[in-house]
Amino acid sequence: MTAARDGAAGLAAAARLARFLQFGDSMFPVGAFAFSAGLESAIQKRVVTDAGTLESYARTALEQAAMGDGIALLWAHRAAVAGDLDEVARIDALAYARKLSSETRTMTVRMGKKLAEMAAEVTGAPLAAHWRARIDAGVTPGCYPVALAVSFAAQGLPARDAFVVHHYGVAAMILGAALRLMKVSHVDTQRILYALNAGADEAYEATAAARLEDMAGFAPLAEILAAVHVKAHVRLFMS
Amino acid sequence: MKLTEHAPIPTPWAAAEALGASAAELAAFHDEPPQMASGAVGKTGYLRLGFERRGERTVLAELDRRTPFMAQRALYPDEAMPDLAWVFMITTSGCVLQGDRLALEIELAPGARAHVTTQSATKVHSMDANYAVQTQVVSLADGAYLELMPEPLIPHRRARFLSDTRIAIAPTATLLYGEIVQPGRKHHHPDEVFGATALSLATSAARPGGELLFAEKLLVDPVRRPVRQTGVMGPFDVLANVILLTTKDAADRVHARVAADVDLANGVAFGACHLPNDAGLVFKVLGRETLPVKAKVREFWAIAREEIAGTALPPPYFWR
Repeated sequence: MTAARDGAAGLAAAARLARFLQFGDSMFPVGAFAFSAGLESAIQKRVVTDAGTLESYARTALEQAAMGDGIALLWAHRAAVAGDLDEVARIDALAYARKLSSETRTMTVRMGKKLAEMAAEVTGAPLAAHWRARIDAGVTPGCYPVALAVSFAAQGLPARDAFVVHHYGVAAMILGAALRLMKVSHVDTQRILYALNAGADEAYEATAAARLEDMAGFAPLAEILAAVHVKAHVRLFMS
Repeated sequence: MKLTEHAPIPTPWAAAEALGASAAELAAFHDEPPQMASGAVGKTGYLRLGFERRGERTVLAELDRRTPFMAQRALYPDEAMPDLAWVFMITTSGCVLQGDRLALEIELAPGARAHVTTQSATKVHSMDANYAVQTQVVSLADGAYLELMPEPLIPHRRARFLSDTRIAIAPTATLLYGEIVQPGRKHHHPDEVFGATALSLATSAARPGGELLFAEKLLVDPVRRPVRQTGVMGPFDVLANVILLTTKDAADRVHARVAADVDLANGVAFGACHLPNDAGLVFKVLGRETLPVKAKVREFWAIAREEIAGTALPPPYFWR
């Protein structure tokens, strides 16, 4: 083995980085562009009004993602690396039971199913194919963070990478929606993204130390905005 | 068999003790109070309420209690639902203190209907050692109906409080569980607005066979995660979290009648979402003060009663 090789599957460092970028790309076709994670209602109700409140809203979403889905993602990755898809399914059900609004459930299962299909087709890894088959058979909800964990484990990519893709994806989704919903520039959204990325290590360390039963959250205003969105007459986004 | 070979019978508050010992959010607070030791007699409250349908009424068929928790008897003050057994939970200590380990159990037999509330707000006092834990186990059999509507929780500054509620509910039963959380005594001291050090409120529900319906754990940690951050509490101070577990048809009818809005000018935000696995609804309210939040919870309660029990909610008692 040479110094250029890295990771459990012995994937070359450059290829590993390229695949990390491929699955973390906002263009990766899992349908994230259709969701705003409550931002559409937040703007309509004047909760988010400028770049400052947008950054604060996105920061809340990232903290909530780390405390909830992030924990499920890391435990699902551990189970997937061990080849234990029954345990992955148990974690999937726990993550799903914590999605208390219909729109957040729609988002996580649509993106989770798309990602599972894509991972199975693109990587050809048996683990990814087995997880997709479970989702297609309707025996597990197929939440997005769990699908991300399985697809990274199937490629021999580490849990930290999957966590970062998830973290980045939440921020990119909200900031991408912001460009279409409010008066904010590309410079603003990239500056916000840059600032939010600085918290990725701390978020990962805290999440990696958590037990599955530590999944928690506290963002009541964001949850009420999800309820407002369901009842709204004019909607550009699915959440 | 010799007596010594028997495993000790676990006490109802042993679960509260174990939960506190293992909770990550309380890991920094395992020091013992200089006053009475944690979990000592007088700090292990236990209340078990068992309701059964007897003829036209629901009766409080089982009552077990241990200081500081107590309950006296069922009352029938509800003219719209004269069979509904009302029980006021009482605590003789007047508040929750450091080292308290409290356990509540409520069980409704088939067809029983009850309303359980507290006499007054639950105040969680400031703590300089240890923490307080409360477990609540609620079981509803077929056709049972329970309104569990305690008065608000008021965590004082530097309080550390963990509450864990586990619900087992039959598919034809209904549970309305409303929790109102104040930020502290906000007009008493500036540090009392989200001055609690740790507040952990978990609720989960399953079918009697164990199939998980939903789980929620609200973790308020104002030092690590500012509550004023956009999307958390924003400009609001009081939170109501109301869970309505009922049949899918009833939940759909209630949801259709419940509005959702964020009204910053009038200081109130509210909305209902469908819970996963067709479990029912969760209705959340935010306000600057407690009264408008209580009023919104009452509106939701009235709609739920009309759609599920088919009766109107009587006007509020003037002292509540």
